[in-house]
Parts: sequence; C-alpha cells; structure tokens
Amino acid sequence: MTTDTTPRAEPEWGVQEVQPLTGRVAGFLRGIPSWILWFLVIVWTVPTLGLFINSFRSRDAQRGSGWWLFFQDAERYGTGLTLDNYRDVLGSEATGGVANGLLNSMAIAVVATIIPIAIAAFAAYAFAWIDFRGRDGLFIFTVALLAVPTQVSLIPLLQMYAGGAHITLPLIDKTLTIFPDLDLAGTIPAVWLTHTGFALPFAIFLLHNYISGLPSDLFESARIDGADHFTIFRKIVLPLSVPVLAAFTIFQFLWTWNDYLIALTMIGGNRQNLPATVVVASLAGEFGLREELLTAGAFVITVVPLIVFFALQRFFVRGITAGSVKG
Amino acid sequence: MDGLFDNRLVITIVGVVAALGISAIVFVGANRLFDLAPRKWSIFSALIGGGSALAFFGLLWGNRLINQPVTTTIVATIIGAAAGYALSLTSDPRLHLGIGALAGAVLGGLIGATLKTSTRPEFDPVALVVGVVVGLAIGFGIWAVRGRTASVTRVALFWGALGWVFGAFLVPDLGGGDQAWAVIAATIGGALFGAWVGTFPNPDANARREIALGSRKYIFLTPALAFIAMTLIIPLIRTGFLSLQSGPPVDLSFTGLTNYADIFTDPTILNLENWTNMFTSQLFWAGVVVLIIGIVVARISGQRTGEGFGINGGSLSALAFGVILLGFAFFAVMRGTISNNLWWIFAVTLFSTGAGLAVAVLADRSRGETIAKSFIFMPMAISFVGAGIIWRFMYIARPETKEQTGVLNSIWVQIGKWSASNTASIIIALILAVIVAGILYIGWTGRQARRSSVVAGAIVAALPLIWLIYRFLGPGIGGVEIVDGVAVASPIFFLTESPFNNFWMMVVFIWIQTGFAMVIFSAAIKGVPADLTEAAGIDGASESQVFWRITVPSIAPTIGVVTTTLIVTVLKVFDIPKVMTNGNFDTQVLANEMWQRAFTELDFGLGSALAFILFLGVLPVMWINIRRMQRQREAVR
Amino acid sequence: MKRFRSVVILLFAFALIVAACSDDEGDSGEATTTTAGESTETTAAASLEGTAVTVFGPESSDNEAGAMQDALNIFAEANGMTITYTGARDFSDQINAQAAGGNPPDIAVFPQPGKVIDFGTQGFILPIPAELVDFSRPQWPGGTLETVSALDEVWALPNKTDLKSVVWYNSQIFADGGYTVPTTLDDLWALSTQMIADGVTPWCVGIESGPATGWAFTDWMEDVTLRLQGPDFYDQWVANEVTFDDERVQEIGQTIIDIWNTPGNTFAAGGTIAATPFGDNGEPLANGDCAMHRQASFFAAFFPEGTTVGPGQQIDTFYFPSADDTRPVLTAGTYVSAFRDAPEVWAVMQYLTSAEYSTERQRAQAARVGGGANSGYLSANLQQDLSVYNDLEKFFVETLQNADPARFDASDLMPAAVGAGSFWTEGTSAVNGDKTVADAFAAIQASWPSS
Repeated sequence: MTTDTTPRAEPEWGVQEVQPLTGRVAGFLRGIPSWILWFLVIVWTVPTLGLFINSFRSRDAQRGSGWWLFFQDAERYGTGLTLDNYRDVLGSEATGGVANGLLNSMAIAVVATIIPIAIAAFAAYAFAWIDFRGRDGLFIFTVALLAVPTQVSLIPLLQMYAGGAHITLPLIDKTLTIFPDLDLAGTIPAVWLTHTGFALPFAIFLLHNYISGLPSDLFESARIDGADHFTIFRKIVLPLSVPVLAAFTIFQFLWTWNDYLIALTMIGGNRQNLPATVVVASLAGEFGLREELLTAGAFVITVVPLIVFFALQRFFVRGITAGSVKG
Repeated sequence: MDGLFDNRLVITIVGVVAALGISAIVFVGANRLFDLAPRKWSIFSALIGGGSALAFFGLLWGNRLINQPVTTTIVATIIGAAAGYALSLTSDPRLHLGIGALAGAVLGGLIGATLKTSTRPEFDPVALVVGVVVGLAIGFGIWAVRGRTASVTRVALFWGALGWVFGAFLVPDLGGGDQAWAVIAATIGGALFGAWVGTFPNPDANARREIALGSRKYIFLTPALAFIAMTLIIPLIRTGFLSLQSGPPVDLSFTGLTNYADIFTDPTILNLENWTNMFTSQLFWAGVVVLIIGIVVARISGQRTGEGFGINGGSLSALAFGVILLGFAFFAVMRGTISNNLWWIFAVTLFSTGAGLAVAVLADRSRGETIAKSFIFMPMAISFVGAGIIWRFMYIARPETKEQTGVLNSIWVQIGKWSASNTASIIIALILAVIVAGILYIGWTGRQARRSSVVAGAIVAALPLIWLIYRFLGPGIGGVEIVDGVAVASPIFFLTESPFNNFWMMVVFIWIQTGFAMVIFSAAIKGVPADLTEAAGIDGASESQVFWRITVPSIAPTIGVVTTTLIVTVLKVFDIPKVMTNGNFDTQVLANEMWQRAFTELDFGLGSALAFILFLGVLPVMWINIRRMQRQREAVR
Repeated sequence: MKRFRSVVILLFAFALIVAACSDDEGDSGEATTTTAGESTETTAAASLEGTAVTVFGPESSDNEAGAMQDALNIFAEANGMTITYTGARDFSDQINAQAAGGNPPDIAVFPQPGKVIDFGTQGFILPIPAELVDFSRPQWPGGTLETVSALDEVWALPNKTDLKSVVWYNSQIFADGGYTVPTTLDDLWALSTQMIADGVTPWCVGIESGPATGWAFTDWMEDVTLRLQGPDFYDQWVANEVTFDDERVQEIGQTIIDIWNTPGNTFAAGGTIAATPFGDNGEPLANGDCAMHRQASFFAAFFPEGTTVGPGQQIDTFYFPSADDTRPVLTAGTYVSAFRDAPEVWAVMQYLTSAEYSTERQRAQAARVGGGANSGYLSANLQQDLSVYNDLEKFFVETLQNADPARFDASDLMPAAVGAGSFWTEGTSAVNGDKTVADAFAAIQASWPSS
C-alpha cells in the first residue's frame, strides 16, 4: 500500500486535511494530463493528415480505399503516391489560374488587414480613454453589430459599389448621392471596403479590451507633462499595443484569406480578380467532376496562413494575454 | 503572365500605401489641424473656412450638380479660406457679420452661376414664403423651449437661411428655372448662412483649447463609425424594412409582420411538439444518473471543505457530462431550424470552450507546448472549402460488404466485428476489465487520501467502460448483425441520419473553433500572476485545487469573453451546413435558411425576416457580455 | 510655418482624393439597362473591334470552362474583341446576388430555364431580338426555345444539351447472364427482376450531391413520369396544374422507391441511397457490383481510370426505354441570356447558340480530355459537325435530335423553391425513409410559391 504512510482515524469524509497522493498511483495520475493532451493533439490532427495523404493519391484511390492504406495504391490502382493533383491544381487556367488567385488573395488579405487595424486602433482608444457623453451607449451599439449576419449586407453593398448610394429625401422627392458611383463592383477595393466594415466591431472590441486595461498611471503622468490624446496614443498606446495588434492581424488575415462568399459576391464574374479560395473551389466541375483536385487545392491555399500564423505566433500569445486577463 | 503578376503586386502595394497613407493623412492631419486652434487661430480659421467650402462644393461635385467642378471648387476653397482668415482678424461684431454675409453671398453666387441647367430650380414664391416662415417658426419654437438664451439674430439667420434654401431649392421642381433666379436664390441663401457664421465671435484662449480638445473624439471615431454605418447599420435598417415586405424583388409590397408569422408557424423552423419524447430516451435517463452522481460528489466534497457545494474536477466533470447528456436528449427530440441553432450554440460553445480550456491548461508549461498548440490551432487556418472535404473523408460510409474508406466508420465497423467475434470480444472485455480495475484502484486510493475528485473521476471514467464491457459480452456494439454466419457491422451515416447528423456537423465547427478558444485561454493562464499559484502550492494545495481555486477565478472574465464570442459566431454559422448538407436531413440552421430564401429563391422579404431574427437573437447575448465587461471596468477603476 | 505647410499638403491631398473619386463628368450611360425593350441593334453589322464582353456561368472546371473559353477565343480573335468567361461553382446563387446588386455580367449561362423565365418576367434580362430567335430556331430541335418563352418573348438561346434518358450498363454482366438490352420499360423492370433472381444486383443508385442532394431522384421521377403519364401530363405537372399531392404523381414516386428498396435490387456505394454520392456509382458499375446505372450523358467521366466506355466496350449504354412506341427523351442543358443591350453582346449571343460554337466547343473539350474519351460536352444543335464526336457521343446526339418528344428536366423548370429546394430535399427524405411518399410530396406541394 503506497498511501498507508499516515495513520487513519475514521473512514468518514469529515472536515480533514487532504492527504497528498504518493507513489506509483500519484505518478500515474500526474502523467494523465500529458496523455490527454497528446491524445487530443492526435485527434485534432488526424483529419488534416488524411487530407494531406489523400492529396497525393489518384482519384480512384481516394474513392476506393481509406487514406491509411496509401501504401497499397500502386498495387491496387496502378498509381502510387503522385504529385499529379498538385500539378493539375497549379497548372489550371480556368477562373484565372491558382497562381493569379493566390496573388489576388494576397492583395485582398494584406490590405483588408491593415485598414481595419489603422481605423479600429483610434476608435478603441477613444472608447477607452476619451470621456464624452454617450460613450458607453455608442460602444455597446458598435460592438452589438458583431451580431449582424454578413449575408444581409452583401446585396446593399454590391448595389453601392455598382451604382453608388443615393438617398431619396422624403416629402420633397429629391435624390442625394452619399456615395459616388465609382464603379467598384468587381474590383479588389470593393472587397477591401467590405472586409473593413465587417471587421471593425470585432477589432474595436478586441483592441478596446486591451487598451482599456493599460495602467491608468501611464496616462496620468503623460497628461501632466502636457501630452494631448494624439500624442498619448502615438507615444504610449501604440507601442504598448503591438502584441494585440499582431493578434488581430493574424485573426483578420486568416478570415480574409479564407473568405469565399464576400469575395465571390463583390467580384462576381470578373475572373482576373477572384481570390484563391474561389479559384480552388471552381476546380471541381458542376457535378463534382475532378473533386480529387480539391484535396491538393486546399493545401495550396493553407500554406500562406500557416506561415503567417507561425511567424506571428509569438506576438499573438502575448497580445491576447493582457487584453483578456484585464477583461 | 508577367504583366498580370505586376498588376497584382501593384494593386497590393498601392492598396497598402493608400491604406496607410490615407489613415495617416486623415488622423495625423486632422490632429495637427486642431493642434493649431489654441496657438494660431488665424491659420486655423482660414483652414476651417477653406475646408468647409471644399467639403460643401465637393458634395455638390459628387452629386454632379455643378459645371466646371474643378475650377469652381478651387475658387470656392480659396474664398472660404480668405473669409475664415478675415473673420479671425477682427472682433468687431458688425464687421464680422459683414464679412460672413459677403463671403456667403459670393460662394452662393458661385453655386448659382455654375449650377447645371438640369438642376436649376423653378421660382416658386409660395414655397419660398412658406419655407422661410416655417423655418423661422421652428427656430423660435426651439429657442423658446430652450429658455431663450441664444441671440435672436443668430436664430433668425440660421433658420431663415434653412427655410430659404428649402423653399428655393428643395421643394420646387429642378431643371425648369433660369440662371438669374438660380444666382439670386443661391446668393441670398449663402448670404444668410454666411451672416449666421459671422454672428459667432472669435473664441478666447480657453474656448480655443476646448475646441482643440473636444475635437479629438470625432477625429478618432468618425472613420470607424462611417465604415460601420456603410457596411452594417444601413444594410441592417434596409433588412428591417425588407422583412416587412413580400413578393419578387422587383415588385415588393408591404405586408407587415406576415413574414415573421410565417416563420414562427412553419413547423420546419419551429416545432415544439415532441419534447415529451425526451423522457423515453436513454440519453435523458443516463444524463439524470450522471447528474445525480455529480451532485452527490459535490455535496460530499463540499461537506469536507465546509462549503455547501464542492466544485472540483470530479464533481464538475460529472455535472458537465450530465448536463451535456440532458441537453442532447432534449435537442435530439426538438426538431426544427431554431432548435437546431440552439443545439449548435449549446454543443459548440460547451465543447469548444471545454476543449480549448483543457488544452490550454494541459499544455501550459508542458514539454512540446508550442507544437501541441500549433496542431490544435491548425484547423483555423484551413478554409471551409478544405474543412468540408476533410470531414467528408472522415464521415464517408460504404456498404457493409465493402471496406470502409472513412476513418470513423472504419474504426466503428472494426469494433463491431470484434464484438461479434467470441474470442476478440472476450479479449477486449478482459483488457477493459483490467483498465476498470486499475481505475477503481486509483479511486480507492483516492478515497484513502480523502480526495473526492479522484473518486468521482474514477467513477465517471469507469461507468462507460463497464457499459462497454457489457456491450462486448452481451448484445454487441457497432450495429453488428450476423448475415449468413458472417458478422456484418453496419456503418454510421454521419451526415444523413437525423437527429445526430446535426452533432456530427457541430464536431467540424468544434474542431475549428477550439483553436481560437485555446489560444485565448492559454494566454490568459499565462497572465495569472505566478506568485499567486506558487504561494498556494507552498500552502499545500494540490494542483487541481490551485486550478479550481486560483486559476479559474482569475480567468473567469476570459471564459466569459470566449463564450460570448463563440455564441455569436455559432449563431451565425453558415458555411459548414451549406457545404456539408445544405440543410437537408433535418440539419437546417437560420443563416443557411436565410441564404436559401433570399439568394436561391429571391424571396428577400422572408430572408430578411430570418436575418433580423438572427440579429435580435444575438442582441441579448451581446448586451449581457458588454454589461459584464463594463462592471469589471468599473470595478478596476 | 512648417506645420502650416503640412496642413496645406494635407488639404491638397484631400482635394486630390475627392477629385479622384469623381473623375468622370456627367452621367456616363450606365451599361446595365435592365428594362426590357426591343433592341434596335442586333447582329454584328457594326465592327466589334476593341469591344469586350463578359460571360458568367456555372461550368468551372478546367476542361469545361477552358473549352468554353477556347471556343469563345476563336470568335473573339476573328473579330478583334475580347470575351472573358468566368465559371463559378455557386453560379445559381451568385447570379441572383449579382443581378439584384446591379453588377450582372453581359451574358449569363443559365442551367435552369425556370430561372430564365423568372429573370425575364422580373425584368433582369433582355428579350431576345426577333432576328436572333429566327437564327436559332431552325438550328435546334423543336420545343427548345418554347422552354424559355414567357410573356410572348423568348428570353434565352440554347447553348448546350445534356441527355438524361441514358442507362449505363456493364457489358460483361450482360454477356455472362445472357441479358439483352431492353426495348420497353416493362422489359427493363422484367430484366431487373430476372437479375435479382440470378443473384445479380441490377442497379447502382446514389443521390447524394452535397448541397444539391436529391437531384438524381428527381431525374428518375421525371424520366418515369414522362414514360408512364406522357408529355402533356408532364407539362401540367411542371406548371403545377397537376399537383404533387396528386395520386398519380405520388404513385410514380412510390413505384421508384419500391423498385429501389426491393431486396437485392440496389447497390449503394455509400451504404444507403441517400448517402451515396452520385459520382461514386461509376466504380461499382465498372467493378460489377451492379449491372446498370441510369444517369445523364456526362457520366462517362466518373468511371475509374482505364475503364473503356462506348459501344461494345466494358461500359455500354442504352436508351432508357419507353412504355410505348414513342421515344420520349429527358434533357437538360444551358441557355444564354443577355443583360446588356449592345451589338457586341448580341453578336456573342448569336455565336453561343450557333453550330460553329457547338463544333468548336466540342473540338476543344475533346482535345482537353484526350484519348477520344467522352468530352462531357453535348449539343443538340442540328447543323453542327458530328465528326467531332466519338461513337458514343454520336449516339447521344442522335437520341437528342430524334426525340419524340423531348422534355427539359422538370426540376429546372419549376420555381427554385421547389426545383432547387423541396423537390430535392423532400424527395431525399422519402428515399431515405424519413417520410412517407405522401407526406414528402405534400410538403413539396406546400412549398410551391403561392403567387
């Protein structure tokens, strides 16, 4: 008996000191967390691993047998592991080609990540540290817009990009243009503007969380030195917020890079501007013909966000830390 | 291809430069501009004058109302700047009034002279008189209500000007008038507005500082609010309007709340009939049993520590498990789009938060932390197109007679075959029995050490294994049947068998979102001050006690943030149901229903009503979340 | 002073932005005239030099979209213009968004005539000028243009045809069992029964198709309805004059499901019919898990690599037989409609419906597929050059051209709420046994738009 080192009075659950577990059982119990962790990691990775292996297999092999039997492919289907899918994905030309799609994705994601950060950082600072009447109400309203399903905005926005926005003044029946007809529909800037608008509530929410948690003594001393809000923002808040900005960069980059619906709707039939997600989805025909290419296509798209994630991961963890801990 | 490549790069670079440049110009420029107010009032005043003229003429230009827009706008800007500068030089009220009226009249005349033929107003004396009279009446009405503090001249000028513009330009038909009247009307209107501006004296040093300070909130907030208004608020209002209408898109007519009534009476969207079936399901009673175990354990450990109810790993896992079982029993019988959505919220939020927290805690300071977290995070980097294909390979089923090509069915069928074979099932039952014995031994040592959490954990872990042993030795598992003396295990149709196909789709979303929860939790845990946990450790608290007594309370706000963010995301879930079943087989959710109504069937009325329900559904969640956040903020300050 | 200068620069920049934002003076004639009006300019008398036309459609894979672009390039190069084809997988949702959002392409390729009629009556697309109708009518089998006519106008021109009344069979099984190709529907059912008795699984059936799951069931419904109840009944059914809760309609649904559920009748590669991706029927048919599979002419691409398809090959086909001496054929296909009234648009429209297009498209697509295999493209155009087709494809084209009568896929003619919605989903419920046929079809009828 490993636990019988201390004498025991009565076997009832009275108000008593907890005894530390010792010996082999304790060692076993201490090992459990790491077992569970690696079990979860495996469970989480198996689906992706399956896709990865299948992306090197022929269509017949993908359909005919499980991916874990890939080593039998050459024997059963005549083709072993092959780069054909990748070759066909990268060599495709319909819908403008995957290379062009990747460049478009880059053009979309980079800018659609920078604009919201620039705008949201100022707004988050204002909500956190500038006192004005109605601030809390306005903030609640702004963040509540997180809840607007993006799909409802697609058609009004497309109408605005295609023909400008005009309001007809009631009673007097005069039309006023509030957004000029810039013929943006089908262009990449239309996607930037759309992503920016959709990203702002979350960006403000996240950045505000962080910025409002910064110690207020920093601001007091700066104010005593005569710094105005802009100087405080530039000299104190911005440098301190680099982590949370990096965090938001990753989220926003992932979302805009992986977005399919917004880009397709705003760009429509203008194929030279379509991003990689749309191009890859189009690789398969109307009735699922050549669906095997989607396996390789999915990996081709995923490479860039993974690089971004690994590159910014360091900032990411630190960034969220302060924000969420302060609440 | 080279040209194309350059083209994309150019777009990206131009975009980045423009984005950074415009925001720098807007923010830095506006801030610098208002910095001038206290120190160099004349320059500030000139810039504001020029800027206002530029903005107003820019609006006319954008509306295509004036001829020669470039020259006109430049001239107007210069005049505005000159007027602003002149106003700042004198403090004589009459001179002020004069300069304002003169500049306004010139600018007005400029508009009148360049107004396009198609926008010249007709002369309408009745409208003019009525406009001015109504304008003045409103103005003085407000003035009276406000306590008659403002100067009479100022009120008269402003509201008179407004009424004049209304009567001269907005009410009459445009395009029929002659140029002379256009010039006269615009000159008078401009002079009135200019004079109104002239009634304001130059501010003193204090007021200037006020201007400089008070402007910042507008500078900081306007760009964000403008974008939000454009992409979210205006479309939302439009959606609200559309939801009250019916018919094809070119021929909508107001039908009031019909769309909402249709939604709530449609049994495929909301069906409350079958909830009593819950009481006949095994899941429900299993949930009740586990919940009771959890309560008992919590009571016992609570007695020991002197609290009424002991929350620790053992009791909480039993309680959570029980709640999950009950929830699933409930949602499995409640069919319909809305209950599907609620099930999504229940399951995804619970599992993603739970798994995210578990990984964050387990990985914390363990070996290979970064690697483990990266793998859990990876699904977030995969697009929904990719996720759809990945899970097809997981869920695919093949007939009994063929080899299974889906991972899950392959395992399931193999288990079924084992349970049908006598030797295999006995071997497995024996292995399981040994494991159960081990677990019970751990539980027993835990009892010796008065660690109720260990006991409860052991019981909760042992129960399903005992059930498995029973299934292996008894009725078998994996849907096996004996056909012609051969054991055949039937696969699970993950995506077509209602109601649990809903859950299998949630699994995909959980798989993606856990990474999000994990990253945030992991960071929060790292933010818990180390001295707190170490001090507790020295005081003899076990690791699980440290976790439940110190870590969890410290990260409680984060749990709230993650939960609410997930609820909002899940309520809007669209891509996965769309890609995997498109709402077939009882898996419809609100966002996809809305998409189908509005975009496939072009029924914008019903689609908008569904969208609005979705939005209204999220509001309380957001409100609770933000209230909580504010309370914390107040507590911190 | 330095500060002042920076402010001036700022204002200047702002002025530039404003200037850039509204560069063109006056109202540029908006290209998207969505009001219906007889077009004055029609076929290409004017020079098309330097013009550009955009085409948007559902065919997106390299073979299909690429061949379409190839065929369009031939016309574009001959006329010194540019034509860009964009294919998107979510075309049918996207064209709604683009039309409602005011950003339509010049020409859209519609796979659903029902949608064409909706768009026509709602004023999104332009009616086809009489000259073009006269150009197209003699080139296509009778009834092709009537399918897309409403309000006394023709709203689209035919562009491509699929043949649906095809049964693919494993010729080895037929040879081994001594089975002969059936010539009447009764023969076909008798053959199924015979096969079951012989221990051969006659049919492969699978109707899963992701978001469009169920369409393969509706195809069966349509083909059988056309045979058992005749074309007039079929037309009334499409128009909802014969409703879905009509006994005769329910009976056909029940017949099909009963046949499918007969023990030994069906091999479903995904375990159940509803869970089997329709494309996964090719492999079991080639492997001999079943003897026959009823699927459209494009199915040749779904057989495993190395399978030979064609008359006398491993996989052969026969016409889905009729119940009497008529030869009804179920078809599908695409139609092109115009959103912009311009000479270059009508010129491209004319090309897209012409025999030259059919020939060039098939030539290009066959070259892309290679090896003389089925290209996946098919056209019923009567004046096209048949030499660009292989033997099997020639059989398909002839079946299409000799149809008596031909009817378009009913689900593509019905309103989207039914044809791309409840008919698929409720049909799937009935096949899956989640609902009875009566309940499922009553639900389809209930979803029929009231107006």
